[in-house]
Order: sequence, then structure tokens, then C-alpha cells
Amino acid sequence: MTIRRVAVTGIGILSPVGNDRETFFANLMAGKSGIKRMESDFVDALDAKIAAWIPDFDPLAHFVKNKAATMDRVTQFAVVASQQAVADAGLDLENEDRERIGVYLGTGMGGAASIEEGYVRLYRDNASRLKPFTVLMAMNNAAGAQVALELGLTGPDLTFCTACSSSSVAIGEATRQIRHGYTDVMLAGGAEALLTFGTIKAWEALRTLATEDAENPAASCKPFSADRSGLVLGEGAAMVVLEDMERAVARGAHIYAEIIGYGSSNDSAHITQPSVEGQARAMRRALADAGITPDQLDYINAHGTGTKLNDTTETTAIKEVCGSDIPVSSTKSMHGHLMGAAGAVEFVACMMALEKQALPPTAHLVQPDPECDLDYVPNVGRNNVSVKTVMSNSFAFGGTSGVLIARKP
Amino acid sequence: MDTFETLRDIIANKFEKTADEITPDSTFESLEIDSLDTFDIIFEAEEKFGIKVPNEEVSIKTVQDVVVLIDRLRTEQGK
Repeated sequence: MTIRRVAVTGIGILSPVGNDRETFFANLMAGKSGIKRMESDFVDALDAKIAAWIPDFDPLAHFVKNKAATMDRVTQFAVVASQQAVADAGLDLENEDRERIGVYLGTGMGGAASIEEGYVRLYRDNASRLKPFTVLMAMNNAAGAQVALELGLTGPDLTFCTACSSSSVAIGEATRQIRHGYTDVMLAGGAEALLTFGTIKAWEALRTLATEDAENPAASCKPFSADRSGLVLGEGAAMVVLEDMERAVARGAHIYAEIIGYGSSNDSAHITQPSVEGQARAMRRALADAGITPDQLDYINAHGTGTKLNDTTETTAIKEVCGSDIPVSSTKSMHGHLMGAAGAVEFVACMMALEKQALPPTAHLVQPDPECDLDYVPNVGRNNVSVKTVMSNSFAFGGTSGVLIARKP
Repeated sequence: MDTFETLRDIIANKFEKTADEITPDSTFESLEIDSLDTFDIIFEAEEKFGIKVPNEEVSIKTVQDVVVLIDRLRTEQGK
């Protein structure tokens, strides 16, 4: 079987630091954080009143009223990001063989707001019935299904649910669909909209959320810094168009990158605690898949959650596999942790690093941690650097890792 | 407002239609409202009129079918 090469030809993104790729990356380069003090009515009941959300998202700007009312926020994000990606790729779907286009989407909590709204009606308000669309809005595959419906795509449509690595896994598996000839084009990425009272309280109970920075809430997530206190939950979506390289070249598409490597594995160590061995295994698998040596990497976008344990574990794993010379940064310091969408959002950061020949910083890294001793591109982004090959790490509760490697065409 | 007018407003609001597009004889098909969407209309009608529509009752074609159903259930259920 011929193994086909896979190009990235379109980007769509809705993130706490920008709703298009240019704004998103410009804000990352400027070290601008999308983390803010929450304004929700339940904020008083939260230990840490911070999150990274999409400001001013108006569903009615994108959907007719009845359609918007039957889509959870996570689905709305996924569809809007997908439409953006298709437009960016210059795909005219009317003239495409839509059986050869699939949708692989990652999400952690799916339609969290819809299920929670149902429970509120049932348990608090003693309603006897729930909204007829509750199941269809809450089910985890709703976002992918609505993307396929809205765009009329009839290729494979699968939802990946591996917590924080969901969308990296979705992009990796979508790459394989094209590589092995099952499809020609894939929309791949992830979406998350979990900033509901119940979901945040559940995360709070895990004691992994960051404490609010009293002086500057925007600086609450401090990956690799000695004073880091945890992650900050975020929401949004990122979808990319992947395409058979020959086809992309033939139609003169703009090619952001070629995806050359994907590695996935499970730590099989602990349901939450990261493992050096597990993270290293996934990186090695991706490098082997890409057929490159670690010294060929120019940048690593770290999982870099900002928890005590992840950041030391990931540092050790990176050193073990890649040595200490490659710049590594955690953009979660600015866009927060988008859970099921995190991998895709960070993959977009990597695409833009290749595009702009620039490295986004790790923001809010002011207190060096002796156990975190790599070049984290602290606080200031780097312009005019040579970026040819990049790696994006995603690790997860449940132990499933997804590592992607891409290079400039 | 009578039952029809209340129902008409629910439909108009939900599906962004003008009131005069909706008559008692309008079929849901002609209004481009599918069976899943009619469940949503019945759900709102249940709330509005304080009734409970049993599952076996939701075979409807026209707006008037729903009006008749609601009025019957209001009488039966004393709402």
C-alpha cells in the first residue's frame, strides 16, 4: 500500500485569545493572556474565580435561532471553527466528493452545559420532563455529528474522548485516514465548553486548578515556574483541514505544514498522575513515526499544564527523549487548558510558529524551578528564528498521550 | 389568548416565523418543522398550559391537531 503524505491546508480557531489564527498567534507572541476573573452568577461558590472563555460569542451570528437552540455551546464552537477551516483551505465543498471527507473531533466533556441544565431542571426545579433535545445536545458525538451535517460530509465521523489529549489523538488518527487512503481530506481537531458550575466544581475537587494571582488574575497559570499552582480551565475549538499532499499541491493550496509523525500510548500507571516513562514513550513513538531524530526538532509545544507534577514530569521526559537544547513553551499560560480542544489549539500554535518563523513564549514564568531546567522561551516570544520541525505534546487523565510532529513543506 | 394563538406564538418565536404564516390548517411539514421539532413545541406547550402529553398522543400533522390535543388534555387534566 502506498503511504500518502498529509498536508495541513486550513485552520479554524475560536480561543480565549482570539477567534482567528492571526489574532490568536499575535496575542500569544505578545504574551497576552485570555485568563480572567469569571463573571458567572455562580462565581462566589468557586475557590478560584478564574477561567479562559470566548468573550462575546453570539450563536445567532452563526446560526438561525432554532438551530442554535438545538446545539450545545461546544457544538456551536466546533461548527464555527470547522467552517472557518474549510474557508481558509479554500475548499469548495459543493464541488468536492464529500464521501472522501471525514470529521475526527476530540472533546473531553462534550455537551456539559446541556446535561447540567437538564439536571438542574430535574433535581432543583423538580421538572417532570426535560427538553426534547437534551440527549442530542449532550451526547459526546454531537459536535462531530453537527459538523458533518452542517457541511454535508459523508466520510467517517468519529469522536475521540481521551480527556486532555482528545484532539491531538483526533488529528493523529485523521492523519492516518489520509495516509492509508481511506479518505482524501479530513476535518480534525477538538472543541470544549465546560465552564459550567458543576464541571468547574468537579475540577476544583481534584485540586489541580490554579489559585488566582491576587495582583494579576491573567497571570494565574504559570507553567514551569516555581510558584505555579495548577491549571486554568478554558473553552474553545480548533479545527484543521488535513489533505492528501499530492492533491493539495495539485490544487495550489496553501500548505501550512506536513504532518510527519504521530505517537499515542497509554501510561498504564495512574489515572491522574503523569508518568515520565509514558510521556517519553509517546514522544519516541511520534519521532519513530516521523523517521527523524530529536535534534531535528526546532520547537516543542509542551502539554505544560502548570500543575506541580505535570511540569516536572514532562521536563524529565523531554530531557530523556530530546535532550535539553530544544526550546519548549507552554501556551496554556495564556489560553488556559482547553481540555478536549487543547491539543488542537496548541497544534495551531505550532502551525503558526512554522508560518511566522516565531516561537510563542511561556508567559508568567518568573520564578525558576530547579526541577524545570529547559529553555521554556520565558515571557518573551522569539521572532526571526528558524522553525522547520515542531512537536506538540498532549497528555491526559486516563493516561492516553497524543504527540504530533509537523514540518514546514 | 386562546390555545391557537398561544401555540402560534410558541411556533413563531421558536422558528422565526411571522404570525400570519401560521394558520390552524398549516401542516408542520409545510412549515418545515420536522417530528423532532414538534416534540420541542409540545414540550413548551406542556409548560405553558401545565399539562402532560402522553407519548402515544404525539401523532400530529397540523397546528390544529395540537390545538385539539391541548384543549382535550386541559379539560381531562383540569388545567
